[in-house]
Amino acid sequence: MQRRFLVTGTGLAWLLSSVMLWAAAGQSLAQNPPPNHSPSPTATLLRVMTHSSFELPKPLLAQFEKDAGVKLQLIKGGDAGEMLNKLILSRAAPVADVVFGIDNTLLPRALASGILDTYSGAAAQSKSLAGMAEGAAPQKDLPASTADSGVVGGVVPVTQGFVSLNIDKAWFQKKGLALPQNLQALALPAYRDLLVLPNPATSSPGQAFLLATVAGLGEAAAWDWWAQMRGNGVKVVKGWSEAYYTEFSHNGGTRPMVVSYATSPAAEVFYSKDKLGASPTANLFLPGGVFRQVEGAALLKGATPSARTAGVKFIEFLRSVPVQQALPTSMWMYPVQPGVPLDAVLQHAQAPTHFERLPLQTLSTQAARWQQRWTQVVLK
Amino acid sequence: MNPPKRPVLRSRHNALWLAAVPLLFALVFLALPVARLLFEGLWGEPVPGLALADTGPWWRDAHLQWRVGWTLVQALATCVACLVLGLPMAWVLARLDFAGRLWWQRALLLPFVVPTLVAALGVLSLWGPRGWLGEPLAQAGVSLQDGPWLLLLGNLFFNLGLVVRAGSDGLAQVSAQQVALARTLGSTPWRAFWRVEWPVVAPWLASAMCLVFLYCFTGFGLALVLGGQRFATVEVEIYTLIAHELALGPAAALAVAMLALTGGVAWTYAWVERRLANTARITPVERRPLRGAGQWIWALWVLALGIWGLLCGAPLLALLGQGLRAAVWGQGAAVWADPDTWLALRNTLQFTAMALVLATVLGSLQALAGHALRPWPRWALAWRASAYAPLVVSPVALAFGFLLVYPQWLASLPLLVAAYALLAYPFVAKALTAALDALPEHYAQAAATLGARPLRVFWRVTLPMVTLALRRGVAFAAATMLGEFAVSLLLSRPEWLTLSTLIYQRLGRPGAGNLDAALVLSASLMVLALLVFVLIEGRLGSGTSPAASQARRRAAATSPPTPAA
Repeated sequence: MQRRFLVTGTGLAWLLSSVMLWAAAGQSLAQNPPPNHSPSPTATLLRVMTHSSFELPKPLLAQFEKDAGVKLQLIKGGDAGEMLNKLILSRAAPVADVVFGIDNTLLPRALASGILDTYSGAAAQSKSLAGMAEGAAPQKDLPASTADSGVVGGVVPVTQGFVSLNIDKAWFQKKGLALPQNLQALALPAYRDLLVLPNPATSSPGQAFLLATVAGLGEAAAWDWWAQMRGNGVKVVKGWSEAYYTEFSHNGGTRPMVVSYATSPAAEVFYSKDKLGASPTANLFLPGGVFRQVEGAALLKGATPSARTAGVKFIEFLRSVPVQQALPTSMWMYPVQPGVPLDAVLQHAQAPTHFERLPLQTLSTQAARWQQRWTQVVLK
Repeated sequence: MNPPKRPVLRSRHNALWLAAVPLLFALVFLALPVARLLFEGLWGEPVPGLALADTGPWWRDAHLQWRVGWTLVQALATCVACLVLGLPMAWVLARLDFAGRLWWQRALLLPFVVPTLVAALGVLSLWGPRGWLGEPLAQAGVSLQDGPWLLLLGNLFFNLGLVVRAGSDGLAQVSAQQVALARTLGSTPWRAFWRVEWPVVAPWLASAMCLVFLYCFTGFGLALVLGGQRFATVEVEIYTLIAHELALGPAAALAVAMLALTGGVAWTYAWVERRLANTARITPVERRPLRGAGQWIWALWVLALGIWGLLCGAPLLALLGQGLRAAVWGQGAAVWADPDTWLALRNTLQFTAMALVLATVLGSLQALAGHALRPWPRWALAWRASAYAPLVVSPVALAFGFLLVYPQWLASLPLLVAAYALLAYPFVAKALTAALDALPEHYAQAAATLGARPLRVFWRVTLPMVTLALRRGVAFAAATMLGEFAVSLLLSRPEWLTLSTLIYQRLGRPGAGNLDAALVLSASLMVLALLVFVLIEGRLGSGTSPAASQARRRAAATSPPTPAA
């Protein structure tokens, strides 16, 4: 009797351990890509946490691994806010050595959580087209960051992008409706039920747009405007994908205006089969409706010295010309390194000349409250 | 022949042995992470850097009250709609004989094997603002878009088939003699239905209702896409609180309340389901041919198939159609030239295969342990209810629990496979439990009396009789894993790209090419899930309902397997 069950038990143990072995074998296979790309066997393992939109050409990453003697382990932690929260929650036993994707709106939370390490690589001394924070004074306990480098609290700027309204050109042409000239016009009956935006609580472009309205209109006027917009049928959905692919009229929805990125019209051309001469969508830059998102990379506390060295190499790699040049057509963000030529397709999406700015201090103290207030005004 | 005390003790030991593996697994991969997160939320030190004002407990917040209330209402509404629409369909399926009946019976479960995201896209391509039916409706002034309707339609799409199958299985348990007797004694057909048939069917329907309630109440993926901001469910709220606001305290309070409620329903479900087991021999009511039936019967038949076609068949067809359109006229075909697609396909199949082995072992052990626990009804009931725990626990609470308990494993393949298996083994356990319940005891007893050892009895007598049910459970598990949600529980790595992550990735970038690619991938994933389901469940031509397989088993049982000497 006992023996029988011992046999069953052994069989099971065998079966389960073979599945686990299989899984482990699969993992080691996944960690060892084909020989022509694999770095030397002594390569340092570098764990890089990114948001789910991170993307760079594979040959570039392989070249980096080879040159730097680093084995990259990219880990995608979901949307940028979600990713940061995962890092904060696991701060006692860090799951990564480097993070990419902390933007200027998430910066206050990242700084307050104390998970970031200081940065002193070359990028901390070189000029950047965009800084991680507006009006940030170098802090005492952090390395002096020149205003030019844009480094704040160890976060090195890597990409910049502009959150703005996108419109469906064909829809406006067909209806013969003039484009609104300012945010206030959007609250008029003529523009009823036309705008969709991703929820600022669950989407970074949504949050950026909310911040733009508060910065552009002033706080009190902004809440009035949002209340009017609620009455005028503004639609709020979970994330950018839902807004763009289920609600935006260009993609089968009913709303001809969507909160998206300034590069989206160019992406529409880039991803079209018969290379369109003009984009079917366009940017609509309104005062109080454009926000600059600056995404950065940082070292995480708790990394081993060798991982730290590799991490610095990776952050410098992100600022190298080949990566910066690849950004616009991979992640659809603009470079921050000066003098990097832009892909020709970006002629279909001009960058805005004016955007709203919020100092770091205001963001740290107000952003969470604005978020709650917005939910109160628009959703509850 | 009078079994003394020892076998009972032995049987208890057996149960403990059998239970050990699934119990340990559930503790390590489910209970511990969730408990850890709840602990962090309720008693942990506040997370630095979050300055959100406390809105107080959820039962005092009007917004959250609405959320909880609406979640309850939509789950109950779905149950009622499933019952009202499903019962006539079940009757048509069980009592009428018509060409294509078996195909319909199989098609009933199709929506269930379709990945949630794909199902949401299917519902949208039919009822959405530009959908086949949504657009004409919108032009006629009926907008489904900004109300609760899309979510309810989605719920029905998923769950109607379950209720119809359960109802028709229940109707197959009605004794023909009893119905005939009632009719002879002068009952009208209606009266005979209510007095004789309904009492038999009711528990089957109740069991299906419980399951439907659990699915709708804890629904996440569907509610996220179809519910919009106003009609999202509590699960979406918990997700927002944890993932985006890191407000673990309020999230934990909500999660505990949800767990208490769903736990209660799971308990009821286990209790009702156990009562369904009927090992007695009955002669089912014979199906009458549709040809030559009265016009009322014809009308009912048309109505039943029509409503099913509209609610469940059409979204699947719409999605297939969209995928075909994108592949032929759009830019979707290019997706097959993308090496990422092949990587995703390989990973999806590989992870599913790995996790399937684990899920089959765990599910079988869970069911066998429950079977061995029969002498202790209370324990057996708790054990049965516990099998549903992976389906009712908030996935995001689990994901962040993993982060706290196993940070070093978070990007490792073994944990990924375990997470897949965790969400799939209840399907194996459920199918096998039902089959074991219906198993006549005396074959195993006879074999044992003739000297067969327990393992041999299991291998030669019990297993052959439950193989069909086991295959069905495994097929379900496999199909759900293909459209996995599990991968989002962990930190994903680019080299672990699966088909559903690829769909999300494509939908995360602007441009017609990406939308077309996502549609083609979704349609392909649906076809793949079906293919795997049919391959594993097998026997395309034969009836697959438990009643049918029971009947077959009985037929086979006239020549019982020769016990080992």
